[in-house]
Amino acid sequence: MSLSVRAKTMVLERSTPMVGAVELVLEDPEAAAAAKPGQFFQIAVEAQHAILRRPYSVAWVDRRAGRIAFIFNIVGSGSAWLASRHAGDQLALIGPLGKGFTVEASSRRAVCVAGGLGVATFPCLVAELGALDRPVVFLQGARVADRLLPADRLPGVDLRLATDDGSAGLRGSVVQLLSRALVADSDVFACGPTPMLRRLIDAAERLELPLSRIQVALETPMGCGFGTCLGCVAPRLGGGYLLTCTDGPCIRADRIDWERMSDAFHG
Amino acid sequence: MADRLDLGVDLGRGLRLRSPVMVASGTFGYGFDAPLVDREALGAIVTKGTTLRPREGNPPTRIAETASGMLNAIGLQNPGVEQVATAYAPRWAGWQLPVIVNVAGESVEEYVAIARRLSGVPGVAGFELNISCPNVAHGLQFGVDPRLAAEVTAAVRATTPLPLMVKLTPNVTDIVAIARAVTDAGADSISAINTVVGMAIDARHRRPLLKRGSGGLSGPAIKPLALHAVWQVAGAVSIPVVGIGGIASSADALEFLMAGAVAIQLGTVNYSHPEAARDVRDGLEWYLRSEKLEDLAALSIRGTRVPSHA
Repeated sequence: MSLSVRAKTMVLERSTPMVGAVELVLEDPEAAAAAKPGQFFQIAVEAQHAILRRPYSVAWVDRRAGRIAFIFNIVGSGSAWLASRHAGDQLALIGPLGKGFTVEASSRRAVCVAGGLGVATFPCLVAELGALDRPVVFLQGARVADRLLPADRLPGVDLRLATDDGSAGLRGSVVQLLSRALVADSDVFACGPTPMLRRLIDAAERLELPLSRIQVALETPMGCGFGTCLGCVAPRLGGGYLLTCTDGPCIRADRIDWERMSDAFHG
Repeated sequence: MADRLDLGVDLGRGLRLRSPVMVASGTFGYGFDAPLVDREALGAIVTKGTTLRPREGNPPTRIAETASGMLNAIGLQNPGVEQVATAYAPRWAGWQLPVIVNVAGESVEEYVAIARRLSGVPGVAGFELNISCPNVAHGLQFGVDPRLAAEVTAAVRATTPLPLMVKLTPNVTDIVAIARAVTDAGADSISAINTVVGMAIDARHRRPLLKRGSGGLSGPAIKPLALHAVWQVAGAVSIPVVGIGGIASSADALEFLMAGAVAIQLGTVNYSHPEAARDVRDGLEWYLRSEKLEDLAALSIRGTRVPSHA
């Protein structure tokens, strides 16, 4: 396991890339060098009464500058504490953890499907796909336009948008953009709320896209992040469970039992 | 640097630990996953609760963080005793630290069968009897009844020559009665406490946060309960007591050793600080040196200036 526990990673910048999100840029050459798209880090928080680390997927890395960034929203005391860090503060990270996206050199089209804050895991992947010269169609959905990650953060892609209120792009679900984005042999990479992923799976079945061509980045409640607590399970097709932390978070969609997944996570 | 102090402890029947800091069942897997490089810093590993047959565990959501604690309802997900005997134990046999297998069953016969399968298997240093898991259908029944607790303890005792620790639940009216019963039935040591039954509700979706409804509470939130349980048990039995419950630092560990525990187990803290066992051990050594104490046994405050009704 190429994973390390680091006590002192310095915050360089904090910004607001879109409404409802915070971006922290950290100086950590070792983490930047090791992290793959879709992998995550466990970040210690010192919020009152918080005892578990918070898992965040890597948003992007700048390996030459030794920088790594995370984009997240404030959902509780832990993320609120993280969001109030300043340049010069120190953070404690464990990682990189888990399995990232499997990205192959190929001329096949990559279709990225991002719902809400699920977009946070994609700048890293888009950079990697770009380095491999793969054509990328990027479908991004959010509630309203100002909650979309700005286009300049996703350079080189064919960006298509959807919003719940129609303030940008299609009015409706990002999954409605899928049918026109797919070509034969597309690879799909998806991250977003479980109900969105479930709609994506249903759409793929209608469009006869094999689920083995879809990789999803899962988000579940998580304890340790490295396979010991067995808290972060996702139902495995055929019975039993996958661990989001070590089998994932990026998992091929045909390995997941989507019926039980929806039942568990408000799908 | 000065020579390291001897922090070794004896848990009976030949089970000697070189550090009083163990890692608790369910928080370290079978010793293979945690990103703790220096296994040698541990006193012992207590494995995930192991059952006769593989168990896939409870449906999610299985865990939830609560104030200074966490709830879990994993449901004893484990690969079963055969996998432990054939795949894991041979790897442990090459390690320089004891691995204690936590044993969970739904009947006396299951506990006995697991102990019989693992006795004599190189790499298995002893057993911790889990008579207190709150997250399975029959988990608590042995741990809440002194007669049943004694029955299962005696049956396993008769099965194995290996050291036998019995882990008690706090979800009882009188933990001392259970502690006395398992001691009389042949336990070599007692560990206390397992998690405290609790729950949390997801107000947004108006349903329990855990799919199972209830779960076991662990972490700093339960430390005062655990400490008092250890205090009571250590005052009632003559076998070694291992303290568990919300220990996150050497300062916490000291409290348990002062309350009469001879060793401690770290649990939930392993998730957030996988190197905690080393830090707690080193903190204990630092304390002994700075207080000019010879050994851990000098820490107990039992029998000194303490109100008898505590």
